[in-house]
Amino acid sequence: MGGPGSSPCASCKLLRRRCAKDCIFAPYFPSDDPHKFAIVHKVFGASNVSKMLQELPIHQRADAVNSLVFEANARVRDPVYGCVGAISYLQNQVSQLQMQLAVAQAEILCIQLQHEPTLQSHHQLLELDQGDKALLLHNNNIDNFNSNNNNNNLCYAMSSGQFSSNFAPSSIMQMQMQDPPKQESLWT
Amino acid sequence: MNPKRCAACKYLRRRCPKDCIFSPYFPPSDPDKFACIHRIYGAGNISKMLQQLPVQTRAEAVKSLSFEAKCRVEDPVYGCVGIISLLQTQIQETQTLLAKTQAEIAVAQTKHSQTQISEFM
Repeated sequence: MGGPGSSPCASCKLLRRRCAKDCIFAPYFPSDDPHKFAIVHKVFGASNVSKMLQELPIHQRADAVNSLVFEANARVRDPVYGCVGAISYLQNQVSQLQMQLAVAQAEILCIQLQHEPTLQSHHQLLELDQGDKALLLHNNNIDNFNSNNNNNNLCYAMSSGQFSSNFAPSSIMQMQMQDPPKQESLWT
Repeated sequence: MNPKRCAACKYLRRRCPKDCIFSPYFPPSDPDKFACIHRIYGAGNISKMLQQLPVQTRAEAVKSLSFEAKCRVEDPVYGCVGIISLLQTQIQETQTLLAKTQAEIAVAQTKHSQTQISEFM
C-alpha cells in the first residue's frame, strides 16, 4: 500500500503519481512486478481498469486482475486475435478429441457385439443407444447379424465417416457465455 | 455534422473525417458495437491498436476485440478467460474418457485373442 515513506505500487510508479493509502491498484500491482501493470495499461488503459475494479466486490478483484493480465498478454502476443485465437485452437482440440472418442466408443461397441453369443433377436438391438441403434437398424441383413462379414461391415460403417464435426471457427464469435468454473488452473 | 458519421464518431460526438480509422468497422447501423468496445478498451487504445496493424487485418482485430469486450461486459470478473477455462476442462475430461475407452479396447482385444487361441487348441 502507498503513503508517505512506503514504496508506490507499480501502477502509481508508471503513472508517476502519489500512491494513496487506498490506491485501488496497490493490492494487485506490487512494485516488484512492473510489467504486469504496464501490459494491462497498454491494452485497457489505467482509467478503464480502475473503473472495472471499482464496479466489482473486493473479493473478486484479484481474479479480475489476473484475467485482465491474461487477456492483455494474449493481445500483445497476437494483436489481431488475442484470446480469441486461443479459444479457436482449444475448440478445434475439443472437436478432434470428441471425434476420436466417438470412434473409440464405436469400436468398443463392435467388439462387444462380436463377442456377444446370444445377441440374435431384433428386440435386443433396441436396448442400444439411439445413435448405435439407428446405424445398426439401417442394415437390412439383421438375420445375418452373427456372421463375421456383416459384423465387420457394420463396425466399419460405424467407426468411419459417420461422425462429422460441424465446427466452424467463426462460430466462436457467437458463443454464449456460461457460468465459469473456478479459475485456479489458469493461474498456476 | 455529417449525417453519415460512423458509430464511433457519433458516440464520441465529433466530426467523422474521410480517413476515420473507425468508420470501416463501426457502421452507424450498429452503435452498441462501439459502445461496448469503448467501455472496455477506450477509443484511444482501439485507435492505437488499429494503427499498428496492417489494413487487411483490422477487420478481424475489431471482431476479436468486440467479442472479448462483450465477454467482459457479460462476465466482469473472468471475461473470455472463462471460456478458455471451460474448454480446458472439457479437453481434460474428454482425454480421460478417451484414454479409458482405449484401455477397454485393448483389454477386449486381448481377451478376444486369448479366446481365439484357446478355441484353436
